[in-house]
Amino acid sequence: MRKIAKTRIDDVLRALAPRYDLYVPVEGATTMRTPTATLWQEGLENASRFRLYEEGLPLYWRTNTGLSPKDLFFPQTEKMYTAISQGKTVEIKEESTNAWPIILFGVRSCDIASIDCMDRVFLQKGYEDTYYKNRRQRTLIFALGCSTHEDTCFCTSMGIDPKASPTADVQISDLGDAFGFTAQSPSGQQILASIDSLMSDAYTAQPVSPDPMLINVNLEGVTEKLETMFDHPLWDELSPRCIGCGTCTFLCPTCYCFDINHKSPTHAHIVKQRSWDSCMFVDYTCMAGGHNPRPSKTERVRNRFLDKLLYNRQRHGRVFCVGCGRCVSKCPVSLEIATVIQKIQAAEVTP
Amino acid sequence: MYVHKIPNSHGTYETQGVLTTPDTNTIHGGTTGYAPTSAGPVGPNPLLPQRGIITKIITETPDTKTFCITGIDGTKPFSPQPGQLGMLSLPAYGEAMFSVTSQDDTHLHMAIKAVGELTNALHEIEEGQECGIRGPYGNGFPLEFCRGKDLIFIAGGIGLAPVRSLIEYCINHRADFGKLTIVYGARSYADLVFKEDLFENWPKVANKDLYITIDRAEETWDGHVGFVPSYIEELALSPSVAVVCGPPIMIQFTLANLEKMGFCPADVITTMEMRMKCGIGKCGRCNIGSCFVCLDGPVFTQEQLNAMPAEY
Ligand code: SF4
Ligand code: SF4
Ligand code: FES
Repeated sequence: MRKIAKTRIDDVLRALAPRYDLYVPVEGATTMRTPTATLWQEGLENASRFRLYEEGLPLYWRTNTGLSPKDLFFPQTEKMYTAISQGKTVEIKEESTNAWPIILFGVRSCDIASIDCMDRVFLQKGYEDTYYKNRRQRTLIFALGCSTHEDTCFCTSMGIDPKASPTADVQISDLGDAFGFTAQSPSGQQILASIDSLMSDAYTAQPVSPDPMLINVNLEGVTEKLETMFDHPLWDELSPRCIGCGTCTFLCPTCYCFDINHKSPTHAHIVKQRSWDSCMFVDYTCMAGGHNPRPSKTERVRNRFLDKLLYNRQRHGRVFCVGCGRCVSKCPVSLEIATVIQKIQAAEVTP
Repeated sequence: MYVHKIPNSHGTYETQGVLTTPDTNTIHGGTTGYAPTSAGPVGPNPLLPQRGIITKIITETPDTKTFCITGIDGTKPFSPQPGQLGMLSLPAYGEAMFSVTSQDDTHLHMAIKAVGELTNALHEIEEGQECGIRGPYGNGFPLEFCRGKDLIFIAGGIGLAPVRSLIEYCINHRADFGKLTIVYGARSYADLVFKEDLFENWPKVANKDLYITIDRAEETWDGHVGFVPSYIEELALSPSVAVVCGPPIMIQFTLANLEKMGFCPADVITTMEMRMKCGIGKCGRCNIGSCFVCLDGPVFTQEQLNAMPAEY
């Protein structure tokens, strides 16, 4: 492991920024010491999130970011193509793609696990998604091990190690007053070699361990139990308080549903785009003729939790909750997955 | 009290962290064991439409028209298997998934009922209008499973559209299939789609029975009057492979009657309709449990549906 003092982390970022689109965790504007006009204009200012590195940004190293980095591979709204209609003709123009390499710097273990979930959906199962692949394949990931956690974190319950992400290109460890860097892939090795002069050896340093998490849930057997719980009264009990705001799905780093829609500068000129959608919205499954397979909150809430804990395990081979705690801290009615898992464990089912 | 056991349609659970292998067009559950019927969407980006031209529009009924679509270079945009879907778009109005009703060497045909913004706009356009078209999507009908067997096609209203692709295939490969029985009904004579097939082409097909019914008597109609589900009971069809498609209420009663008549759930095939956006199993909205109708369907056997959550 090589290390650099935390106070000198900007040297590393400055060295990487010219060669990569470098995304770093940045504090939310409400806690920002120097909010610049551009930051305020960007939207969602209150949440800490990944931003393109510029000197002077208030970097956020304490815990996981409020918004996950999923929008770097799967933007909240993404242009797909332009269609120009003239008389009876229709011309379709693909969006040009970018090949500039990206570094995602300082991603936590839970969010790296969520990138694995996204890869399964967009790259591994069935067709490859061109838009996702374009961003994903030019991205290098620098994981950052956690030395502290939010009260809402429960990654350890979901089988994730907050200090280690073996699939990342580089693992950064919190050594107290320094960050330690370990390459875990050939590309990671190359990059670290290129900034090696900034670092010194850290033979004996031990990464700081986070305190035990406050939320502990038992995932064991939940998927299997849910197979028998489609008609269980639990969903009726849980769903009335959901206000259908979609916060849970928008914040969740493993939620991948999208809508395809368009904006029209003019009727003849449309930009086809896709944007995040939420299974918690009424019209999500509503068909042109008016029929809706999930007409009430009971079906929608049930679908969300079955999707996270059962359907995705069946379809993509893993539970699609990584214990990041975002829905736990942000659902306005506390209809969150950690409690739901406990309720599922406690539910009575007839064999 | 807990009626549905949600099946693990992929066999066993994989361990967390083990990567799944890509399996385009997986078909879940069931025992018919049929294989994927066709390759996926044409072109490197499965979400990008090709440019097409609607060269011909046929008025089928007061609210249904058939659109004949060819590529901008005059070649067929893609060659779907019977029962597969295509995404048709008029860019200013949006895009939607339709079954490909039939095809010839250069054109895809889609019979479309006016029910929403896009379909209403489609009903307003003129021949020569260009459009976007992408596909094919979905699994299609289980041709291998059907080969060599007697087939009963049961359709109501616009539900004949997806079924017609299979009927046409059977007629074009007549020797590969046993007896073909077609039972089709609509609200009125005017609402019967594909009249040229019903009254001119199909009557000439060898070894077939063709039964057409309308819901209420009309002066100029001397055929059968009554609903499709009761008609099939009257006909006392002996159990073989049935392909059922139509409005939800008709499907519901037809399936119940077929069961009474001794049809085996694995031999009853139907197509599902769900809201779709991507067609390639990514956007998430067409799920029934862990199945994506755009990828794993739209064709399912009754046996497969019985094993899925009843949320459609
Ligand atoms: S579960 Fe909570 S966050 Fe999700 S839609 Fe309902 S109220 Fe909103
Ligand atoms: S379900 Fe909640 S805790 Fe789990 S990954 Fe999604 S946002 Fe995080
Ligand atoms: S239509 Fe997008 S997943 Fe099926």
